[in-house]
Amino acid sequence: MARTRSKPATKAKASTPGTAESATKAFPASVENPPKLFVLPKDTSKDARIVTLENPATGMPSRYFFCPDRGFYEFTRIAAPKRESRSWLITSEKRLDDAEKKTDAEEEKNKKKKKEEEEEAEEEEAPGGYITKSSDLFIATPIDMLFLILPALAPKSAKDTKQLFLCLDDHMDKLSSSSPHLKVLLSQYPSIRTMLSKRLTACCDIVDAGDETMFRLSHAKLLSLLLTKASRMCAKGLPPSLEEKFIKTALSVPIMTIAREESNLSTMSTSTTTTKTTTITDNSQASTTPSTTFDSQSSTATTSTTATNISTEEIQEKPSLETPPEIPHLLRLRTALTYLLTTYLPSPLRAPLQTLLTSTPTHDFASLDAHLATLTKLKSEAFALRSISDNISRKRGFEEGDEERMAEREEKKRKKEDEEKRKKAESRGVKQLRKVDTSGMKKLSSFFGKPAVKKT
Amino acid sequence: MLEARLEQANLLKKVVDAIKDLVQDCNFDCNDSGIALQAMDNSHVALVSMMLRSEAFSPFRCDRNIALGINLGSLTKVLRAAATDDILTLKAEDAPDVVNLVFESPSTDRISEYDIKLMDIDQEHLGIPETEYAATISLPASEFQRICRDLSALSESVSIECSKEGVKFNCQGDIGSGSIHLRPHTNVDKPDTNVEIDLTEPVSLTFSLKYLVNFCKASGLSDQVKLCLSNEVPLLVEYTLQTNSYLRFYLAPKIGDEE
Repeated sequence: MARTRSKPATKAKASTPGTAESATKAFPASVENPPKLFVLPKDTSKDARIVTLENPATGMPSRYFFCPDRGFYEFTRIAAPKRESRSWLITSEKRLDDAEKKTDAEEEKNKKKKKEEEEEAEEEEAPGGYITKSSDLFIATPIDMLFLILPALAPKSAKDTKQLFLCLDDHMDKLSSSSPHLKVLLSQYPSIRTMLSKRLTACCDIVDAGDETMFRLSHAKLLSLLLTKASRMCAKGLPPSLEEKFIKTALSVPIMTIAREESNLSTMSTSTTTTKTTTITDNSQASTTPSTTFDSQSSTATTSTTATNISTEEIQEKPSLETPPEIPHLLRLRTALTYLLTTYLPSPLRAPLQTLLTSTPTHDFASLDAHLATLTKLKSEAFALRSISDNISRKRGFEEGDEERMAEREEKKRKKEDEEKRKKAESRGVKQLRKVDTSGMKKLSSFFGKPAVKKT
Repeated sequence: MLEARLEQANLLKKVVDAIKDLVQDCNFDCNDSGIALQAMDNSHVALVSMMLRSEAFSPFRCDRNIALGINLGSLTKVLRAAATDDILTLKAEDAPDVVNLVFESPSTDRISEYDIKLMDIDQEHLGIPETEYAATISLPASEFQRICRDLSALSESVSIECSKEGVKFNCQGDIGSGSIHLRPHTNVDKPDTNVEIDLTEPVSLTFSLKYLVNFCKASGLSDQVKLCLSNEVPLLVEYTLQTNSYLRFYLAPKIGDEE
């Protein structure tokens, strides 16, 4: 069972379960560095700790959970959307059983929590438990340590393509500046070394130089590795949100006759905006919170980053044709792959891998591209068609929907007509008097009081 | 219910003719003392007030107060159907939808009957106090009409100055100026042509001639017209009818820019 433990942000400290220091007695002032809620893997070794390493994709320092036996875990932040203010109520173990209420993140999580029941109050002695203001929940999930060392293997920029064979240590040295903790870990736990070189073997060309093994990144190997990962990702189907956004919509064939379909434009624009959020949140969070963090919003956003990339090349398909049976799978695979690329790979590696991907013999992405291209064409046609008819239908919808306004308008019209009629019926004298310059003449009501006795 | 028999349909005809150019719609308030009317023009600078006392009718019956909202244009159309000497009978229910007019020809047995649909008119009703005016001028209605007509050819407004010597109507226009001076004048043989001035203090006021011309449409109702003036107070133009009834017009003076 994973145990949750809230812990002040000092990361270098070994994580022993259930210790917490900030003591809360009757309404203490809010803590400056509030405890955070984590879901950590169970059965980790005693020496498990949180380390700061370079995020492979962004290059920003991020926090990872490290267990010498089991390897690295990345943190994913799950949070309620900004609009829904939630917080955690953390109680001691005993209370937990009968009523644990976290006014917090999704119920799902609550359930999980309940199951995990290892939730511990920060403070045994605080009878009421502890309330954290933020509803963030950090979940540690295993990450292939390959990703963590990829920055060392990848060229620093897209230009410098020459790659040398280097031994593990040399590679590690490259990382030491950005991820000083890694070096410490390496020296402390030789076990990682073996794990690392195993991972390296999987993705590198190897040359044996004497007793040392030299590694050089092989794009092809890396790609096949990623493909394996990606196919594993879609083996059980993508998460519903991804599936909906990147597979269903992308593959939906526009219906030409009825010009009503998911507007291309809107999908595009949303994905771009979310992308923006991602980058922003990523940056801001990277500095403050451990490891890869997304709040639930940005987690979709991340996906949408992927999406944007995808959408440029793949979201397009669909003649009023049938979707060939292999297409959805290919698209899923590519979506997963793009996700991996954007989330875990250093940017200089992405482009070469993308190009390499197109020429992969194992998967025929060309058919997917063709299909998507047809779909785009169809969509843009449908869109053009729609923008014309849309105008009309929208207007009508507005009028029908707004009966009240219509009635109002009718009333106005009637009034206006009445007024006009009245004006026409005016006698000549009345009309002429309208033209009289009455400036300087006060209204009679200013002379004669209203409630006075009527003259006889 | 209301039932009012007027010997002279012509009287109502003239009254309505006189005011239909000032107001479009108005309420005829009927109660046991007679039929009254008060209405302002669109700009609210002029007011017409009419009172036809119950004595003017024979018989007059009004059980409860009724307001007859009538469009004067419609009323004019119907009244046009009446001959000058026809006998007019006004009838209305207590909560009327229509007012019924019956014209009886006294010489023949012709009886014509009309219904006019009534309307709901929401009108401001002003209380007009009895005022002691600084100057009261009585002059032949035709004379006043002529003055107004002549001067309106020159200018938009006329200043009426009243002093011991008499009354002076003076106007300045683009093409020139004009003034008419009237002195008190008594003709025993023809009292209709008398000009009487009752003055407590001199007054000088300016009025819109177009409105005055409009008021003069009532000239046929009475031989004499009475102008009552006080400084800074609306002018009262009164046409006296038989049996204590009257038709009065009020007009706000022009204050400020002297034209």
